[in-house]
Parts: sequence; C-alpha cells; structure tokens
Amino acid sequence: MRIGVYVCHCGLNIASVLDVEELRRFAESLPGVVVARDLQFTCSDAGQDAIKNDIKELGVEAVVVSACSPRLHEPTFRRTISEAGLNQYMLEMANIREQCSWVHMEEPALATQKAKDLIAMAVAKASLLQPLESETMPVSRDVLVVGGGVAGISAALDLANAGLRVYLLERKPTIGGYMALLTDVFPTNDCSICVLAPKMAEALAHPLINIMTYSEILSIDGSVGRFTVSGVRKARYVDESACKGCIGECAGVCPVEMPNEYDFSIGKRKAIYMAIPQSVPLVACIDENACIGCGRCEEACPADAIRYDQQDQEFRLDAGAIVVATGWQPFDAKRKEEFGFGRLRDVLTTLQVERMLNAAGPTGGEVVRPSTGEVARSIAFLQCVGSRDQTVGNLYCSRICCMASLKNSQLIKEKYPDADISIHYIDMRAGGEGYEEFYLRAQRLGIRFVRGRASSVEQGEDGVYLHYEDTFLGRSVRKRYDIVVLSIGLEPDSGADVIGNVLGLARRPDRFFEIAHPKMRPVEAHIDGVFIAGCASGPKEIQVSIAQGSAAASKAMQLLIKGELDLDPTVAYVDQDRCIGCKLCVDTCPSKAISVKGTALVEEARCKGCGTCAAACPTDAIKMRLFTDEQIMAQVEAATAVKGEYPFIVAFLCNWCSYAGADLAGTSRIQYPTNARIIRVMCAGRVDPSFILEALRRGAEGVLVMGCRIGECHYVKGNLQALQRVQVLRSVLEKAGLDPRRVRIAWCAASEGDILARTVKEFVEELKDLGPVGTELMQAADQAIRPGLTDKADPNKKPPNGAEQKEA
Amino acid sequence: MAETEAIGSGHHMTNQTGREFRDLAIRLAGDEVKTCIQCGTCSSSCSTAHLMDASIRKLVQLVLEGRKEEAMACESIWLCTSCLLCTVRCPRGIRPKAVVSALRQIFEQEGRRNKDQAFERLFMDQIKSCGRISEFMLSAVYPLKNPLSTVPIMEMGIELMPKGKIAWQISCIEGISEIRRIFEEMDSQ
Repeated sequence: MRIGVYVCHCGLNIASVLDVEELRRFAESLPGVVVARDLQFTCSDAGQDAIKNDIKELGVEAVVVSACSPRLHEPTFRRTISEAGLNQYMLEMANIREQCSWVHMEEPALATQKAKDLIAMAVAKASLLQPLESETMPVSRDVLVVGGGVAGISAALDLANAGLRVYLLERKPTIGGYMALLTDVFPTNDCSICVLAPKMAEALAHPLINIMTYSEILSIDGSVGRFTVSGVRKARYVDESACKGCIGECAGVCPVEMPNEYDFSIGKRKAIYMAIPQSVPLVACIDENACIGCGRCEEACPADAIRYDQQDQEFRLDAGAIVVATGWQPFDAKRKEEFGFGRLRDVLTTLQVERMLNAAGPTGGEVVRPSTGEVARSIAFLQCVGSRDQTVGNLYCSRICCMASLKNSQLIKEKYPDADISIHYIDMRAGGEGYEEFYLRAQRLGIRFVRGRASSVEQGEDGVYLHYEDTFLGRSVRKRYDIVVLSIGLEPDSGADVIGNVLGLARRPDRFFEIAHPKMRPVEAHIDGVFIAGCASGPKEIQVSIAQGSAAASKAMQLLIKGELDLDPTVAYVDQDRCIGCKLCVDTCPSKAISVKGTALVEEARCKGCGTCAAACPTDAIKMRLFTDEQIMAQVEAATAVKGEYPFIVAFLCNWCSYAGADLAGTSRIQYPTNARIIRVMCAGRVDPSFILEALRRGAEGVLVMGCRIGECHYVKGNLQALQRVQVLRSVLEKAGLDPRRVRIAWCAASEGDILARTVKEFVEELKDLGPVGTELMQAADQAIRPGLTDKADPNKKPPNGAEQKEA
Repeated sequence: MAETEAIGSGHHMTNQTGREFRDLAIRLAGDEVKTCIQCGTCSSSCSTAHLMDASIRKLVQLVLEGRKEEAMACESIWLCTSCLLCTVRCPRGIRPKAVVSALRQIFEQEGRRNKDQAFERLFMDQIKSCGRISEFMLSAVYPLKNPLSTVPIMEMGIELMPKGKIAWQISCIEGISEIRRIFEEMDSQ
C-alpha cells in the first residue's frame, strides 16, 4: 500500500505545541509511507490540492490526514480523495489537535510523542484499508400504515398525495380511532367527527390508499425498502361491496343486544352493527361472538349482502416502509378500586362522558346519572386516574386529561350554568397554544378547581360521596355528587404487541414504543424504515398526532421517493465457513439485522455498523467492512510499539458520545495527562475482549473502554454489552493473576469533556499505584516462593470490586 | 405576617438544625419522601384526619422544609393509627406512615415530652408488661401525667362501666415472653 501522510499545522493550533517537522520526518520513516508533508491548513483548497496531486502524481493509494477530529473533517477529506479518483474509504485520520495540542498544552515533548503514536496507529490502519462500494438497492415505494386513527390517516393522506401507494391497516371495522368517538375537542371546542369525517372519506376515496379494516398483522419479514407483510382480514360476514350501509334494516331485526364498546358500555348495540354512523367503510359487521345465527338479518337485508359463510382471509403485501400508528388504550378504571368504577353506577370515565356529550351518542348529548337516568347537576372530575401513579405502574403524565376535563366541564357548564362542577387535580397542565386561555375560560365559567387528589368514592343514600383534601386550605372534605368522572389516563394499545414483537421495536419503561432519539428523531424507530406516529410513542393531543403522522409520512417519502436506497457499506458480514450457527449475534444486534438459518446472515440494509455482533462472535465469523478486527489490532500494535511513557493506556472510545466528549475536551482546552492512546470504534460494544488482552499483552498498563451513558447508547444497548464483557474479562484477568482494575469501563456524554479528562486522570493515578503491568504476577510468584516475606510489598491491593463500584 | 413566614421558610433550610432534621427524617422514612407532590391522597385517605391539627400531607412538607419545631409540635404525630391506607395509596410510592414513625422516633430520642408522648409511653409500657391494654389502668394512670384530661375520660367511664365494658383487672396474655423479646430487640436497635 502506498500511503501519503499529511501533518497539519492548523495555523498555530497544532504547531504551537507539537513539533510538526519532527512529526513529518517520523511519518516519512513509517513502513508503506511514500510521501509525508506538513501543510498549513490541510482543509484549505491548497491543502486538499496537495493531497490530490500526490494521489495523481505519486500514486498514493491510502491517505492519512493528521490534523483535527474525523468527526469534523472526515467527510471533507473523503470528498477530496474521491475527487482525485481514490475510493473514499481509503482515508484515515490521526486526531492530533483535539487529542494532543489542545489538551496537552504544557507538555510539548510528551504531546509530540503521543502524536507520533497516533500517526503510527493511523498509518497501520491505513495499510489495511479496503475500497468499499456503496451499493444501491431497488425498493418498494409502497408504505404500510398500521393503525387507522387520526395519526395513521394523516400519514396515509400525505403519502398518497405525494404519489406513494399506501396500505392503511386497521384492527377495528372502521377507521377513525378514538377521535371519531369524541364529542367537541379542545382548545377550540369544535366537533371532533365533523373535522375528522372528511379526512376519513378522503382516505377512502383516494386512488392510492387501500384501506384494510378489521385486519391484523401476523408477521413481517425483510428490512427497509423491502418488508414483506402478512396478515389476516377477519370475516365480517357482510359483503363489503354489496352492503349499502343502511344498518337500520338488519340491526333492526337482530334479536341480540349487548353493551356497545364504541359507547364504552353506556349504550347498546346489536350483534350486527356499525361502529359509528360515519364508519369508513360504511359497511355493517357481524360480531361472531354475539351472533346466534337466527338468519333474520339475511332476510331483512335489501342488498343481499349478508354472507354467513365468509372466511378470514390471509393477505401478503410488500412495503418499503412502515408507519406504526397503533395509538393507545384507556386505563382500566376498575384497577383503582377505591374509586368504585364498575361497582358504583354513578362513577363514570371521561370516555363515557364524551359519548354522553356527543349529540349522536347513547344519551343524545345529555350527561345523566346512570342510577336514575336524570341529568347530572353536580359533577366531580378526578384527574390523574391511572396516570402519575406508581401503584398502577404508570409514572407518566397522560398529558391530555387536564385539557379533556376542562373541555368537558365547559361543555356541561355552557348547557347547565347552574351545574356544580369541580375538577380535582394535582397540577393543572395546560401547556400548548391556546391551552392556558382555555383554562382561564373554564375558571370564568365558574368551574371549581380543587387542588388535591381524591382518595376514594363511596355510595351514599342520595348520591356518590367523594373524599378529598383541599390541600390549599388543608381541609379534609366528604362531598356528595350526582356523578364522579374519572379522568383516565392513556396506556399503549395492547393490540400493538404483535407488531412491536415482529418488528423488534424497543419500548420505554412506560411501555410505549421508544423513538430513535427522545428529541432529535421524534418519529423514527430504532429499526430503519420504520416510523412511529401518534400515541404509539406516548400520550399526545390530536394536533400533535396529526403533526407526527405528517412527519412520519415525510420521513418515509425521503426514504422511498427515489425508488432506490444507498446502502452503507460499513456494515457487518458473515464468513459462512467459520459460522457455527450459535445465534449469539442474533440477540446482540440492536437492529434485528441478523437471522440464523444454519449459519448467520446479516441483512445489510438493516445493519447500522455498530460491530457489537463482531465482538460477540465466538469464532470471529462476523466481520466488519470498516473498523475490522485486523485494523484495530494493527492500531493496538502500533500504539504499544514504543510505549514512550508510563503508565501507558490504550483507550477505546465510541464514536458518538465518548469520542465526541474527547473532542469537546479539546475544543474546551481541558488539560489532562498524555498517557492515553485513543482508538475510535463505532460503539463500545465493538470492543472485543481480544483487543483488550492484546493491549495488555503488549505491555499497556491499562485499557480504558468508554461508551455513551447508560440508556443513551446510539445502538440501544451496546454499552451494556460492553459492560458485561468487561466484567467477565475482569474476572478472567483476576484468575490469571492480573489486577482487574487494569481494565476500566466508563461512560461519558458528548457534552462531558470534563468527565473524559477526569476519567483519564484518575485512571493514570490508579495505574501508577498498580505499577507496571505484570508487577502483580511477579509479586504472586515471589510470594509462592517466599511466603510471608512480600506481604508488605502489596499495600495497594484492594478488593477488586472496589473499582467496579466507582464506575459502573 | 405572611411575609415574614415566607422569609422564614427559606431560613429553615439554610440553618443546620433544619437540614439535619430533614436529612434524618428522610433517612428514617425513605428517600422517596423527597418526591412528594403534595397531592393529598394520604391525608384524604387518613382515618383520623378529622382529628388532626396538621394533616399527614402537611407533616411531609414540614419535613421537606426542615421545619423541625413546627413538625414536633403537631398532635397529628400521635394520632396516626398506623392503618397504612396512606402508604397503600400514595401515587409516588412514599410511605407517609414511615414519616410519622420517624417523627415519633426523633421526638423520643431527643427526650422531648408532651401529653401525647406520655400517653404513647404508658400505652407501650402496658403492652410490654402484659401484652395488652387495660382501659382501667390506662385511664387511672394517664390523668396523673395530664390532669386536664380527667373530666372527659371520667364521663365516658361512667357510661361504659354499667355495660361491663371496663375490665377491672389486667391479666397477661399467653406468650408474654415473646412480646418482651420483641421490645428488647427493638430497644437494642
């Protein structure tokens, strides 16, 4: 390999501390190096031209830029060399600015020695670089949207309007979701179905949207660009194309009456029914669990649409991307026994009141006392039922319930100004455009606000009695109401478990689907090509769900609009001859990219190149195309070739957080000891124990592994896997007689340059105490020969778990 | 007055006694106490809230604010019946009952005295010696410590006596040695 090395002065940023000419001469002496130059500003046009010239004139095949962080200028120099005709992956950078000149300003000699090591490491890696080609893959431009609520409908419409075909899959017999069941909605108090129904109709009429109701997913195979989905369309025993949606004829004669789940059991429905009058598609459905098969509906149907012999139908479809908009389910109020729901007739839930307030609902728009049928005149709303409550396992705020109760109380108060309405709250949460004003409006209407969470509801002679403390007055109260409304929280829909499992979606501790980054990537899943919108990723208002539906649609469009996908070549692949099919890699992979049929296979479109699988593979059958085992071993070897200072540390830092933290220590000029030689890996999970052992074998006093903070890994749990491996390795070292403290693992965010610096400093101090690597072996040997004599020579030996506690 | 109190509240957390009191109470009652949102579930669940001068919710806040003397002066500390409804229902997983126990413990450890504490002590002494309470002995001895309480107790006693609700003698339960062992273990801790 003909290698060119370019040592940058970066003005005085590097040159004022490091001896650049010395570095250049050193680089020139390294094996494979055909040219070494020092450049004022390598990233300037002049600097880049120098590199291009050498590629053309001297036949340079791999380039080492010894300058700033690759996180800053790697893209720049990749472009430079590819413009000169070299493969863009034939580049390696030695970070002698952020890791040397800016952090060792008072130690020019040691810093220059460290820079030499970094250059030697980069050259060693460069000599093993391989050209990598980005391949393109044709993709399906169809999108599967799972969930026909308002988020799913929004996503479907935006996608279809952009020209992509959409399958809109819904488990219920109609699309519309919970929004279709609500009465007026906050903060404008406009009618929910009036604004939603046109969207539902538009989706039905759209030539590019295929609405599949009463359908469920069974399995999903494949990966981004080419998912294969199979599912089942349940029999509704009604011919969809024949049914005219008149419903009165068939339901009118049906003898089976049952609580209507679309009214949350306030009203009744028949065994043949339509969920809501505005159902899309406008088709009846027979509830097979309720139907007694009397045949009357078949006789009554004027369109001959009843089909008792209809069967569930399996379907398969291909999609390039999937939008998961599976929504939420209401908290089961029966779980809060002290409030009496399901036991006391006059205790209701928000959703039941929504249906009562709905003019087309079971009570024709009146909020009534179920026990008497009279209009309720005194109503208490209890907030946070099933939210912010550790006793039911829901620590989170459900976000919409305060506003929903404000709205429902306003609607009642407008109709019955003398109604006695109180809202019992812990904290009123009205964050959103027009929300605080909405709160103010409720106060002006005369609704009472009682700060205090009620403790229990009991039945009295003349009504239900509420126990609460008015915490502002410090007074315990027992008060009678006509009805008590439980403001139930939102939970993730249990029906989404199937899609969550088949796609391998991660869940947060609150059980909602986890998005790729809690701030920066609000609608992306950890799995490429999968997007999450609406309440599937946590409770949300209608407006936010719509925005997320559109955002997810836009992300899916960006992905598929070209009809082909550029595949990142820096992924894992399997050496089929070595693989023993043990499946260790399958569980390790955060992207679910590996499957094993005999031997393992990496689905390259899914792989994100973290390399955790390669570290886990017991036979080294999984290999990375970049950051290969050989390249990293070569870096370790080059790093430890001279060992110009003591104690000597080899450090493995993950690209996203800890390497970035080291960069920040540089830009912040945080000074720390020169002892560590840093090797960049994509994830701490990439660090194979053999890298660590090799570093120790070659005489490093200690090895440092750093990753993102727990819970912040860019590959979900790579840092945890690194932790596990290091812990095992430590116990192995101990058995072999080496002090386990020689291997340290720590976490550092990209914003924590100070923590990185402190970690290195502490480690250096600790290693000084431990002495050169192997000291402990000699002591042990000594002790074996002359027992008792060397006891006092071992004052630093502490119990090995002392170190772990400090870091883990 | 409200103004000075507001200023005073800041003062409690800056003075050392206040901080030490807070830290000790939290150590005894559990770290979750810090997460209290003052929702009132505990106090509205409390079976003796109507008798209390400060609700159990307020006791928690006094602890968090380090307002030691105010907390120590609350009768509520001695009115808790340990029914644990507060602890079962607290949405933050706090044990408000443990806060009460912590306050009782601090009170005792500091050798403080008041009529409620005296009652508590008599009560516990009887349990220790006989394994049960004798209404007669309790109402005979307690007025010695707190003469003002005599009159209402006598009235009630006169009503109860003809109904045979008051036992004149106190006899030990079986296995009293077990009870004493429990007390010894608790004392040694």
